[in-house]
Amino acid sequence: MEATKKNGWSWGKKILVAFVVLFLLGGAGFWYIMNEEFADTSSAKAAYTVNAMDLIQEFQQGDSAANKKYAEQIVTVNGRITEIETADTTANIKFTDTLTGSYVIFDFQAQHANDAKALKVGDSVSLKGSCSGSIYSQLRKAHMISFKRAAINN
Amino acid sequence: MKKTILFLSLIAVCGGVFAQAKKTTSATVAFDATTPTDALPKAENKTVIAEIDTKSGQIGFEAAVKNFSFTNPTIQEHFNSERWLNSTQYPAFTFMGKINDVSKYNFAKNGTYNVTVTGLLTVKDKSNTVTTPATIVVKNGALVANASFSIVLADYGVSVGNSGKIAGEPKITVAAELK
Repeated sequence: MEATKKNGWSWGKKILVAFVVLFLLGGAGFWYIMNEEFADTSSAKAAYTVNAMDLIQEFQQGDSAANKKYAEQIVTVNGRITEIETADTTANIKFTDTLTGSYVIFDFQAQHANDAKALKVGDSVSLKGSCSGSIYSQLRKAHMISFKRAAINN
Repeated sequence: MKKTILFLSLIAVCGGVFAQAKKTTSATVAFDATTPTDALPKAENKTVIAEIDTKSGQIGFEAAVKNFSFTNPTIQEHFNSERWLNSTQYPAFTFMGKINDVSKYNFAKNGTYNVTVTGLLTVKDKSNTVTTPATIVVKNGALVANASFSIVLADYGVSVGNSGKIAGEPKITVAAELK
């Protein structure tokens, strides 16, 4: 007891404080993870920049390698819009290879949804988004390469 | 003469079949597995492929699992992980089915049709029969289809555990404008 009084805090108190600090740090970390949101894609750095038709060709030639390379990466895709489709209250932008029917499709990030509506078929644009890779559609007999959280690349 | 008639008949039949198929590559499928203790496990995919043949009643949907967009990066990572949807190994959800008693409906006419759809939903290579009411609104040749139903994740090999943070029977909402 004498030693304890000389040092100020008992070991018990020190351990309790350490637990409280760890608990608070853990809580703050958990709160951060649970409240984290994806960054605005327009300010994100692209890992790759590609031409739409080259991207389609790359997936057609080897979709498992292309999926490994592009999935969950921010990618800038340049091309000419072939189709604009209504998607609920927003619009999706498509670059389609007319020979194979395979296409790249962009679902825009909420804050950029109005930018998609302002685009027109035939426009040459540079779009950036998070690549979700491709699936081969049995219905369309073609590859679909999809992007989420897209934005116009300024 | 017979060959000419046969050829013209084939064109008419094929033309008729294709004329009935309404399509989109921008259908929306929303997934809501939220619970009172966690509002995060919900997402939507707005690039779903959908086709409805209004004559035969055949319906098809295909969705890229990785294109379900969550607001929270950690939850999205969990959703795609091996333990959950394992989207790298099983990249697509599919639903292949048909409108029940399709001959009862005349989709050539504008109107709202309350139908029942039955089909096979395939997730992680496991298929289960799903039957759901759906609404199809026909306006000037275009179809707007809406449906909402629940699935049991355990039926598709997805275990949500006992934390109460993820609903074991999430609600699936489908909306599609087909032309």
